Amino acid sequence: MSEDASSYPPIDPTNFDLIVLGTGLPESVIAAAASANGKTVLHLDPNPFYGSNYTSLSLQDLSSFLISHSAPPPSPPSAPSDGHDFTPAALAARPLFSHVEISSFAPDVLGEEHSRKFNVDLCGPRVLFCADKSIDLILKSGTSQYVEFKGVDASFVYNENGKLTSVPDSRAAIFKDKSLGLTEKNQLMRFFKLVQQHLEDDGEEEGGENESRNSRISEQDLESPFVEFLNKMRLPPKIKSIILYAIAMADCDQDNVEVCEDVLKTKDGIDRLALYNSSVGRFPNALGAFLYPLYGHGELPQAFCRRAAVKGCIHVLRMPVIAVLMDKSTGHYKGVRLSSGQDLFSHQLILDPSFMVQLPLASSPPGLGSIKRRVARGICITKRSLRSETSNFLVVYPPRSLFPEQVTSIRALQIGSDLAVCPLGMFVIYFSTLCHDANQGEKLLNAAMDSLLTVPESAHPESSTTVHSENSAEEKPTVLWKALYIQELTMDHFESISSTPMPDGNLNYNNILHATLKLFQKMYPLEEVFPETASPENPEDDNEFSLES
Amino acid sequence: MASRRRMLLKVIILGDSGVGKTSLMNQYVNRKFSNQYKATIGADFLTKEVQFEDRQFTLQIWDTAGQERFQSLGVAFYRGADCCVLVYDVNVMKSFDNLNNWREEFLIQASPSDPENFPFVVLGNKIDVDSGNSRVVSEKKAKAWCASKGNIPYFETSAKEGFNVEAAFQCIAKNALKNEPEEDIYLPDTIDVVGRQQQRSSGCEC
Repeated sequence: MSEDASSYPPIDPTNFDLIVLGTGLPESVIAAAASANGKTVLHLDPNPFYGSNYTSLSLQDLSSFLISHSAPPPSPPSAPSDGHDFTPAALAARPLFSHVEISSFAPDVLGEEHSRKFNVDLCGPRVLFCADKSIDLILKSGTSQYVEFKGVDASFVYNENGKLTSVPDSRAAIFKDKSLGLTEKNQLMRFFKLVQQHLEDDGEEEGGENESRNSRISEQDLESPFVEFLNKMRLPPKIKSIILYAIAMADCDQDNVEVCEDVLKTKDGIDRLALYNSSVGRFPNALGAFLYPLYGHGELPQAFCRRAAVKGCIHVLRMPVIAVLMDKSTGHYKGVRLSSGQDLFSHQLILDPSFMVQLPLASSPPGLGSIKRRVARGICITKRSLRSETSNFLVVYPPRSLFPEQVTSIRALQIGSDLAVCPLGMFVIYFSTLCHDANQGEKLLNAAMDSLLTVPESAHPESSTTVHSENSAEEKPTVLWKALYIQELTMDHFESISSTPMPDGNLNYNNILHATLKLFQKMYPLEEVFPETASPENPEDDNEFSLES
Repeated sequence: MASRRRMLLKVIILGDSGVGKTSLMNQYVNRKFSNQYKATIGADFLTKEVQFEDRQFTLQIWDTAGQERFQSLGVAFYRGADCCVLVYDVNVMKSFDNLNNWREEFLIQASPSDPENFPFVVLGNKIDVDSGNSRVVSEKKAKAWCASKGNIPYFETSAKEGFNVEAAFQCIAKNALKNEPEEDIYLPDTIDVVGRQQQRSSGCEC
């Protein structure tokens, strides 16, 4: 409604329990949880929209967000020390993105009339597993009344010969698979029986002296690499690959211990199998294991922000913070200075990881010595689905499926207009992979894109090479718009000021939310996260007229 | 599927802080009024069953939850609205002047497919204050603005005395119902994460 915050009235009150800067999912969960516990919370964001690094935007807004957050940080103005008993420490932007490359091949199709119909995720590809803890958090916090979900219809694995194989999500589906021989099916049967018995046994551990004690997977196996266990079970390579990369979602080549940075242990592999399994069929009308939010992932932080607002949190968008105020004598955090000039105070401060405090004394060179990990992300817009029969699905490219040097798996998620992320008849395809440097990441994502899509060579429509009239390429949908960018993953910590986690390279939010709730517990060790009383009645069951709160 | 979504009508109430948005909702749904003003905390949305032409509908009326104070209502708030109620205080000129901004903000954020014909309803509230002596926006002026924006229905109300509130919301419900959301065409069943979780054995069946 207003272009800038200059028309805002001064923020009142000026003292809070907690000031949160940034409205990404972690910050929003913390703001909502603190508000639900009766804390006074001020939630600020310099952007005109909610969601920070977890937002969903139109193509134009997404492009400008990426570009403005990838520039080298401008040297912060040295905040003048004034007569107060605190010292302002400048707050600088930390660029999370680099190597941003955006190409539009059909500006006419993506014109003004359609621009508001795109809700493209900044942290894609991302889904929620139906049995994820995040679903429980959404239910417990009462945010489920603000977000709707749909099921992701299917998962596929890309194999060396360029074909997509469907990921079987039930035992029945595996046994219907015509590409497996009887022996292989029997081996699989043994494997699943063992896992099932192990899990059942694990579940009733207290019950003790069960006859199936010997059915448990041995302690030694549990601690050893999952891939070794799968080898031991003599699973066929195809099934092994599906289990490792499309169900357990392993990130790097489990068969190549030299290059693999996180070898999955059997016990973690079994846990992920169990998560996948309990996700399939948790909700009657979700076909597969995953959910996707209607209007994109940016709805999730907004839902938590609304929850916070209902509990009294004050939200101010378009409000940059220029400095953090530190107590002159103790050096402790005291408050923040807004770009409007107003000083506000709080006991605690939470920062989104795209900000850093430039403390005059502490000089910790960021990320020195350690090898940095990054995630390469890509987005393609098409007018045709990659698969004619379905519009919302996941594709996993296991290591070495595209080319021998591919050491990480690549995940792609296609989402169609029925999830209200793009105009009718269009599709958004998200890609991501972990990488060390931009070149490697770009090479991987471009290979994945080229495998299933036709990416025009030129960004100019008149010289466009659509007359590739070879029939072999006929199957591949043409890319209308494409973005590629590299996002930082490493995090530094400041003393006395907490930073929330940035989007990770995973498909779901489990690690992010785990770190977020840990941060909340550290700040408020005595408070419960969303105490039971805070959860609202289901409005649909509530025909009496009452104020939902 | 059409049934469930068509039965639920989403109405959002916009306007400056302090014009009486929460009070109007409360008066309509609960027939209650509190003289004590505090910036809205705790108000989320209210639901009311309404009967129209032999059919039962649930009106879901969404409050701004205080996020309007710093113009920080996110786009999610506006999504899927079937009718937008614009409220101003007849005793505060600025709240009337801002109607135009709120209307434009709605059209940008909600981006309805047919912005010309999207149903708005304007309410001039607090006509009871000082027996109308402190009034600064005339009915004529308000009606002229409504007429210039495609004949928006206009009601003068007092949430405090319950005056005209029922009539205003009947009009709101009627207009919400007339609005055919385009989404119905291509937004089929969503997953009910709250209600119908299938109970499943914990064993591995994969």
